[in-house]
Amino acid sequence: MKEGLENGKKVKKYTYSYEEYEEQGKGPDSRVEDILADPDFPGLTGIIIGDWGDAWEDGCQTMLDNIVANKEQFSHIEELFIGDMDYEECEVSWIIQGDYSKLWAAMPQLKALTIKGSTDLELGEICHEGLESLTIICGGLPVSVLRSIQGAKLPQLKKLLLYIGVEDYGFDGDADTIKELLEKADFPNLTYLGIVDSEIQDDIAKIVLESKFMGQIHTLDLSNGTLTDKGGELLLEQLPSYPNIKKLDVHYHYLSDDMAGKLEGLPIEVDISEKNEPDEYRGEIYMNAMLTE
Amino acid sequence: MRKVALLGNPDTKRTDYFRQAAKKASLPICFVDWNDWGKQWGGSPETELFLKIDPPLWKSCSLGELDSLVGDYKRKLDKLAGMADTYKIQYFNHPLAIAGLLDKRACKKKLCQKGLPVTESLETEGEEEPNLLSVEMLLERMEKCDIHQVFIKPVIGSGAAGVSAFRWQPRSGKMVLYTCSLEQEGIGLVNTKRLRRFTEPEQIVSLLNRLLNLDCIVERWYAKEEYQGYSYDLRAVVQEDNVDFLLARLSKGPITNLHLNNHPMEAGMLGLPASVLDSVEEICRKAMECFTGLRSAGIDILLERGSLKPRIIEMNAQGDLIYQDIYHRNVIYSHQAQIMKAWLSGSGYLGAEK
Repeated sequence: MKEGLENGKKVKKYTYSYEEYEEQGKGPDSRVEDILADPDFPGLTGIIIGDWGDAWEDGCQTMLDNIVANKEQFSHIEELFIGDMDYEECEVSWIIQGDYSKLWAAMPQLKALTIKGSTDLELGEICHEGLESLTIICGGLPVSVLRSIQGAKLPQLKKLLLYIGVEDYGFDGDADTIKELLEKADFPNLTYLGIVDSEIQDDIAKIVLESKFMGQIHTLDLSNGTLTDKGGELLLEQLPSYPNIKKLDVHYHYLSDDMAGKLEGLPIEVDISEKNEPDEYRGEIYMNAMLTE
Repeated sequence: MRKVALLGNPDTKRTDYFRQAAKKASLPICFVDWNDWGKQWGGSPETELFLKIDPPLWKSCSLGELDSLVGDYKRKLDKLAGMADTYKIQYFNHPLAIAGLLDKRACKKKLCQKGLPVTESLETEGEEEPNLLSVEMLLERMEKCDIHQVFIKPVIGSGAAGVSAFRWQPRSGKMVLYTCSLEQEGIGLVNTKRLRRFTEPEQIVSLLNRLLNLDCIVERWYAKEEYQGYSYDLRAVVQEDNVDFLLARLSKGPITNLHLNNHPMEAGMLGLPASVLDSVEEICRKAMECFTGLRSAGIDILLERGSLKPRIIEMNAQGDLIYQDIYHRNVIYSHQAQIMKAWLSGSGYLGAEK
């Protein structure tokens, strides 16, 4: 178990080690029980649930159900991250997620939810008065999940960060799906919009720049995708019209040095690190988003 | 008369930085080039020689040639060991100890016999060697052991040559292979020194079949401890009972080898508990005791994620080149120069010559 303090909040990560899940029989069934038994738990404001053992076979549904069943004991938890695993523990696309539809009512105090993995992920009907941050990290976000977000009632949502990913790993939509999401979604307090990790990042840049959120956000995150000079040009032209935007994050990109330099020249904070070069194979150009599995 | 000699390759970092350390210690060194070592050998039976053997350079990156390259190297090491019959010769690391550590299976067997924690092998007790598996046999074995992610490594070779990380879901048939090996037309499998990820079962099975033809060891793939989003393992350079350098090899992929442009960092910066570092040092010392004639070795150790339990991954009798050391304090080669200088002056402890 790991813990850390951030902004005065106390967040602890719960991960089963190899010995715990292989030799002591720990798993998703015991996870919530073990968290509740942890003497540190009452003093925490957030929990991160990492590897629960064979996450590609046993999903997190039992944990979600057990959190809901013990909702009073989780009533002090404001930040929740389920599925914090890396390539050493499980392929992101192999993490079996669950149905979060009962969590919204069970955790009214929740301010930030982060989910990693999109296999079997369902958000259901989202209605939460206090949620300020929603992040989904995955290699392919299903349209069904995007539709849930599109219709969500999240009046306090300040940060929305979505990894779009690729078709092979669950993204069954296209640029129009993202357009519809941004047109129909109603997040009056949104200040951070991140539509990232896409192989149609230029199209997404265009859609985001045309969206109603441009006048209200202070951070625009188009990172981890295949953003090229085409998208860069649009950003360069249109961002000066939005003085509310204080930060542009396009790290992990395919921009030319010239375009990267011009974007860096904008009078805002710009993260333009992690430049990538396209691969050429048999005359075809290949570019990959950062997380495509 | 006593002389210290280095058998190595000119204009390499190993030679240059060892020479710098020797110069600093006012230690005269005779350099013998691997390319010409048979002819250059000008020793006489009266001269007492202290010899350090660096590895020869291999130009080929074909995994199919590993066997013959290592075989040729082993013959040379045998010959070097035999020279002790004619000459008064002491070795920094005995050639037979170097040869012994070239075989990952044999090395691991010895460590296991002494009860040291190593990465768990999927091989069965008393299995005939070489261990040529087919993919079907590998999957069967993984299912039987209830292990769904493994490392597959050619039993010989270094520099991540052929090292692959394989993950498999028996129920769905999904597979993922992380490897630096690639099939190249007319050559066969080559070590590209660039980590790639494959997910198409057909492609993976084809690559695995070729790889498994090389005689590989198969080990459980443990989730390694992470630091700021990077997973890492440790390279300890141990010399005469002392851990002279402890390097963390940080990586964004499961293979942490230093030849793959990973991020190396002094292990002290990881903020590991003293008990973990003590345990790593103790394991290192015990590992060195398992091998006669071994004065210096690079020992790769992983820390299991969560528990930080250390396990030895492998050992290399010529794993003493660490860029983070040579470009800074050059501690490793300086220690070697001190050992040699002590021998030259007649006060040297030659504990490794058991």
